[in-house]
Amino acid sequence: MENREVVIEVKDLVKSFNGRVILNGINLKVYKGETLVIMGGSGCGKSTLLRNMIGTHRPDSGSIFIKGNDITKLNESEFDKIRKIYGMVFQDAALYDSMNVEENISLVLCEHTKLDPDIISIMVKMKLELVGLRGFEKFMPSQLSGGMRRRVGIARALAMDPELVFYDEPTAGLDPIIAGVIDKLILDLSKKLQITSVVVTHDMKSVFAIADRVVMLYDGKIIAEGEMSEIKNSEDPRIKQFITGSPEGPIQFLQSGDGYLDELTK
Amino acid sequence: MKIAQKQNNDITIFDINGDIDINSSPDMREVFENIANAKTMKVVVNLSGVSYVDSSGLATLVEMLKKTRSYGGKLRLANLAPKVKSLFEITKLEKLFDIFDTEEEAGANF
Repeated sequence: MENREVVIEVKDLVKSFNGRVILNGINLKVYKGETLVIMGGSGCGKSTLLRNMIGTHRPDSGSIFIKGNDITKLNESEFDKIRKIYGMVFQDAALYDSMNVEENISLVLCEHTKLDPDIISIMVKMKLELVGLRGFEKFMPSQLSGGMRRRVGIARALAMDPELVFYDEPTAGLDPIIAGVIDKLILDLSKKLQITSVVVTHDMKSVFAIADRVVMLYDGKIIAEGEMSEIKNSEDPRIKQFITGSPEGPIQFLQSGDGYLDELTK
Repeated sequence: MKIAQKQNNDITIFDINGDIDINSSPDMREVFENIANAKTMKVVVNLSGVSYVDSSGLATLVEMLKKTRSYGGKLRLANLAPKVKSLFEITKLEKLFDIFDTEEEAGANF
């Protein structure tokens, strides 16, 4: 693994909101061509980590290198160049409701390239074919199912032929079959197009389906990192609890009642 | 990316060298437009010097194919590197284009 090209390296990353530390010293490498899944419960900091990796949040301290460039230190125009390397698939697809499918996918190409509209139109057809939605160019997002919107979101993320794609909870809120379709699509695209993928999810079925490697976040720290088989067979009770989805165990999701009455009356 | 143009009897041959990507594909399109405007009937694009074609490059080749077909002309591709060939396969374009292993084969029986 160490001989493989490192596409992303996160070093000693710390991020807090309102004095609460969300990420507490994250160190992480993502290798070229792999699908790395960042898993963990709600509020564990995985989405915050993703937002730092794509540059929408700045860390309190630490570095994030994408292809050797520390994005925490780049100015806007320098960051724009790095931005073209990756695509982002948002949790709810985040399509523009007032634009049809073709316009949603072509927006980034119209804004960031000098390509002719006829060329862009052919590219959109090619991207839609990749996600199995050819023929839906003129549909509005409101006319599509949740799974179809996700697929349009993936097509949009692929518009600029990125080397790297980030996915934020790509299967959240989808029925199991459609979630399986999205998992298969992520897997196929990663292998076919040799894309490096970073997927944030708490969907264990999805983790098992797509991950080459997994990191598990808990309480702002990475508590496990390894290949799927290592995570599956882990003896760590926190990982076991997460995989089985048990409410009982070392991971506490409810705050204890201590201090509640004091807080009400102080 | 550099494009060299040569003529072999009635066949117009383009030798392309370098990556065809979002930055270079508009240049390729400009050259192709001249060929289409002149209604050139027999065109071979030799991609032996190309190690990567992005989707804007593929789309530009598709547009060129459409234009040549519109006036009854023919466009053939030759010498695709394995990585480039696999991009044509992934996007299913290998079924759309006439693809040949060598420039000579592409130029034969036009």
